[in-house]
Amino acid sequence: MKRVLGFLRERVAASTTTPLEISGGASFAYVFGKVLVFLLVVQAATGAALAAFYSPSSTDAWASVAYIQDQAAWGWLVRGLHFHGGSAIVVIAGLHLVQTALAGAHKKPRELVWWLGVLLLVLVLAWAVTGLVLRWDQLGYWSNRVEVGIAAGTPVVGETIQKLALGGNDYGNLTLTRFYALHVIVLPALVTVLVVAHIVIARRHGITSIRTGAASPRWPDQAIRDAMAMAIVFAILLGFVVQQHGTSLEAPADPTRAFDARPLWYFRWLFELRELSGSAEQLVAMAVPAIVGGYLIALPIVDRRGKRWLGGLAGLCAIVIGLTVMSFARDASDDELAKRQDEAAMRAGRARAIARNYGVPATGGQDIWSMAPMWKARTLYAQRCASCHDEDSKDRKGPVIAPGFMNRAWIGAFLRAPSSDPFWGRTKLAKTEAAMAAVDVEPQKLEQLVEAIYAQTGARDVDVAKRDAGRKLIDEICSDCHSLAEGVSATGPNLAGLGTRSHFTSFVSNPKSGVHMGDSSEMPRFDDELTIVERDAIAEYLVWLRTATPVDLRALGPL
Amino acid sequence: MSDPDRRKFLSFTTCAIGGGVGVVAVAPLVRLVVDPAGKQTVSSPREPLDLGPASRFVAEPMKVEIVAPVIKDAWAAARDVVLGAAYIRRVGDGLDARSAVCPHLGCAVAFDRAQNNYLCPCHDSRFALDGAKLSGPSERGLDQLPLQVVNGRVLLTWERYKTGQSKKEPV
Repeated sequence: MKRVLGFLRERVAASTTTPLEISGGASFAYVFGKVLVFLLVVQAATGAALAAFYSPSSTDAWASVAYIQDQAAWGWLVRGLHFHGGSAIVVIAGLHLVQTALAGAHKKPRELVWWLGVLLLVLVLAWAVTGLVLRWDQLGYWSNRVEVGIAAGTPVVGETIQKLALGGNDYGNLTLTRFYALHVIVLPALVTVLVVAHIVIARRHGITSIRTGAASPRWPDQAIRDAMAMAIVFAILLGFVVQQHGTSLEAPADPTRAFDARPLWYFRWLFELRELSGSAEQLVAMAVPAIVGGYLIALPIVDRRGKRWLGGLAGLCAIVIGLTVMSFARDASDDELAKRQDEAAMRAGRARAIARNYGVPATGGQDIWSMAPMWKARTLYAQRCASCHDEDSKDRKGPVIAPGFMNRAWIGAFLRAPSSDPFWGRTKLAKTEAAMAAVDVEPQKLEQLVEAIYAQTGARDVDVAKRDAGRKLIDEICSDCHSLAEGVSATGPNLAGLGTRSHFTSFVSNPKSGVHMGDSSEMPRFDDELTIVERDAIAEYLVWLRTATPVDLRALGPL
Repeated sequence: MSDPDRRKFLSFTTCAIGGGVGVVAVAPLVRLVVDPAGKQTVSSPREPLDLGPASRFVAEPMKVEIVAPVIKDAWAAARDVVLGAAYIRRVGDGLDARSAVCPHLGCAVAFDRAQNNYLCPCHDSRFALDGAKLSGPSERGLDQLPLQVVNGRVLLTWERYKTGQSKKEPV
């Protein structure tokens, strides 16, 4: 081992004589920079792994993130480390900055190191902004809309900034490719260069010693402290990520659906400040970060004597923490907000369950709902049909439509008492002379009638002998009002293809047609209001209901 | 040529070559990156969209999704794309359409049935039924969208307006 190291030292022309030393002795006070480098390496490694799965397009982005989070092995863990690792960097960088200022290490001749550090902090925040939008869920999408909206409010150049950020006139594929390029290529390259410069220059100056003991070697005296600090930070990070199961993923970005967008926690103080500043908010959103940044940049210049200006830093920290607490407290006491957030969480869970079970349509995450079985039909049904046909509806006006609709049991019960409550009982028709009379035949014949009508639905499990007997009975008993021949109008509905998909489509289109209920129907026609695709979807759902049970219906999930 | 002169000349030439190569290498890159900024990269339907019979709208605002028949988004084209939403309500004999895009920063506004007005969830702007601003940071009321009723059917023209300013101006 020693010989290998010796060989390498010689080949890279490294000095073997002077070991690197820390004047004043090793200390835990010096670990912050090393921990930051470690966290940046964690970001690079987890980021590379995520990039192997992520697809930056408006149709694929959410789907690929949902895949990482919910399907890829340990994807949630890597994603969580990457997301919360960013937060850890902000925390440690903040401590690093405060500690540097307290030690007076920002002063001459180390101004450049300080300025590079401030610039790095800004880039880290930019990293968070460019990263959040990539998930293309409600949170990422709406947060970005607000952030770009603020930037667009910049006098003169605002609009150009917006167009450059979005990659054109609106959110789309080019928005994601742009933020992706910034997030995974431009910012890492810039941060790497600046971190190297920051460290090289800081090393040349040596540490600003806060201890007065004997010098100790970097290796292993300082290194063991660095390693311990890294282990502690990583353990906390890992524990938090496991506890959070990675990080949140909201429902896919939906430009039509309101969302309570809240910025990442380290921007909450700015969010609160905007809330408090009313009509001056645009000014505040631009001016306050500029003032804070300006203050940090000016610190080494103005802070030549004493620690007067450090009072400003303490004040700044107090204000930032106070505003952050206020913002979270205000949200916590808002019951309406909690309700909306519950609703959003329900939608997120539903969308992710659909993505897991059925996949995300190639047209994009916003169409995820269409992947749930009969979602379109059930949505339309809930909007347009349920109030007149649902068992639970107070305003029900027509027959109950529920699982088992038009199966044998349903047809039998109907024939026995067509004007009873679950069937025509709530219609005006039931109270007129034209109402269908109960079919009063012996059970065996009823069974045959049921089978003949049931056969019309296209069901496969038909007893042919019974059906044929039933047809004869229909000719004898029912043919005054009903016909089995396709397209023939009579006083009662035509029975041909009753309960098939095309029958339902036709019925929903125009129930007042001669082959259906005729003018006695109270049900409106839907051929104007719904497209043929929508009517067909409802018909498919009604056919499905015939063989479904209430358990099957619940298994489809909430709308 | 004296030595200092020679060195000066070489330094200048080196910088000139480096600068030249740099400019030539960077120029196409900058041109490419700024290209979309001047373009309509995501198409928007110019034709009025048919929202069905006018009779379905009542005094309470009804949310309608704005669905474009075809949208081009850079290289991809898609049918039936939901672009945004509008609220339509009956006012006397006519209809009034308001974009659900908050004029503040473009969040989606929702109708709050309990308070009978609109709420933007991002920064709590509130708007009256007629779109007028009630409270919050928005600088103007909800934007009215051009709407016509032809043969009993509602034709709405979708438009996005610039956010964060008091003047209503198309994007």
